[in-house]
Amino acid sequence: MNTIGQLALLFIGAALINNILLTRFIGLCPFFGVSGNFETSLGMSLAVVFVMTLASTATWVVWTFALEPLGVGEFLYIPAFILIIASLVQFVEMYMRKVSPVLYRAMGIYLPLITTNCAVLATATEAAKPGFFKMNIDLGASLGLGEALIYTLGVSIGFGFALLTFSALRERLEIAPVPRVMKGTPMAFITAGLLSLAYVGIAGWFGL
Amino acid sequence: MGEWIKTFKQGLSIENPLTVLMIGLCATLAVSTQVQGALFMGLAVIFVLTMSNAIISTFRKVIPTEVRIPIFIVIIASFVTIVDLTMKAFLPGVYQFLGIWIPLIVVNCIILGRAEAFAYHNKVGLAVADGLGMGVGYWFVILVLAFIRELFGTGRIAVFGSTLLTLPSGYAPPGLVLMFPGAFFIFGFMIAITRAVSERAAKRRKAVAS
Repeated sequence: MNTIGQLALLFIGAALINNILLTRFIGLCPFFGVSGNFETSLGMSLAVVFVMTLASTATWVVWTFALEPLGVGEFLYIPAFILIIASLVQFVEMYMRKVSPVLYRAMGIYLPLITTNCAVLATATEAAKPGFFKMNIDLGASLGLGEALIYTLGVSIGFGFALLTFSALRERLEIAPVPRVMKGTPMAFITAGLLSLAYVGIAGWFGL
Repeated sequence: MGEWIKTFKQGLSIENPLTVLMIGLCATLAVSTQVQGALFMGLAVIFVLTMSNAIISTFRKVIPTEVRIPIFIVIIASFVTIVDLTMKAFLPGVYQFLGIWIPLIVVNCIILGRAEAFAYHNKVGLAVADGLGMGVGYWFVILVLAFIRELFGTGRIAVFGSTLLTLPSGYAPPGLVLMFPGAFFIFGFMIAITRAVSERAAKRRKAVAS
């Protein structure tokens, strides 16, 4: 297989087959928290794509050039990565508020929330040191920066896609007749289960 | 003391992190396929939550408001690293099963949420009570979910290699219960049942009062 094909496989594998929300249960808090409204979900998805890409680049650089050569990665990676992500998000928020108020209004309020989104930490860690997730596609021993970026884009776009689908469904469910005790969150969980079933089906379709 | 017990009980019932506040769901749904794994996940969360609450509450007057989130995260991350390395050394089997969910306790919304909402504004004793209450509330829900999923998904409950409970041999376990969608379905029904029970209890209390 040529390189382009491999990169495409990596992207699809990250976005659909190993969808971070519905087949790995990572990042469920925003998934249930903001999905009540389609526009909020759109802002959240954009913010996640943006922050995840930056965070993965930063953790990849730090892991490859600092933690790994110094041999302290095994026990320092949790505090190091989470600090990188937290400070990065803070900087992005300040920069965006100064430079582009329009962009800030679209996704600014979601930025602080993203610091504690496990999806960002998990993806950034996986991009820096593969083997963190139990994935059913093999990433190899280590990724180049380009591959790490493609992988991160795949994950974050998969996240956004699942979030948007789910919020569109939930808006419809608001007016659907469901039993009174099932209204709201319980019904959201059942819907998520059905969506997750569809994603498991995609994995089966690829024979994984 | 009365205040202490009240705070502790709140985490168990009316402010239960999972069924009421709906935070920290990711790890719960992911590791609840095995009672043994859920047991240790709950213990890890109780430890990190109580210790970080205690430390943050001790230093609450020194931590400046502007940079409190990074400071909280560093404190939490240190305790998570302790759990991570300890479990890797002494319980390799459980560690293998829990995998990424131990490092991901750092970003578990329950812990940062309690640090921000409770420990930063309250005395040490109360913060510890809150940590314990929330932790035990989390533990209880994750154990119930794991119990249902392991019993009906594999037909038996096994902890440390010894089988505690077995369903009749005619029972064919549906694979769905152990798969990812199964967790969503079962948890959805659990919330609905909790809600129905508490609504009925409230109605009965009202009927008695009037």
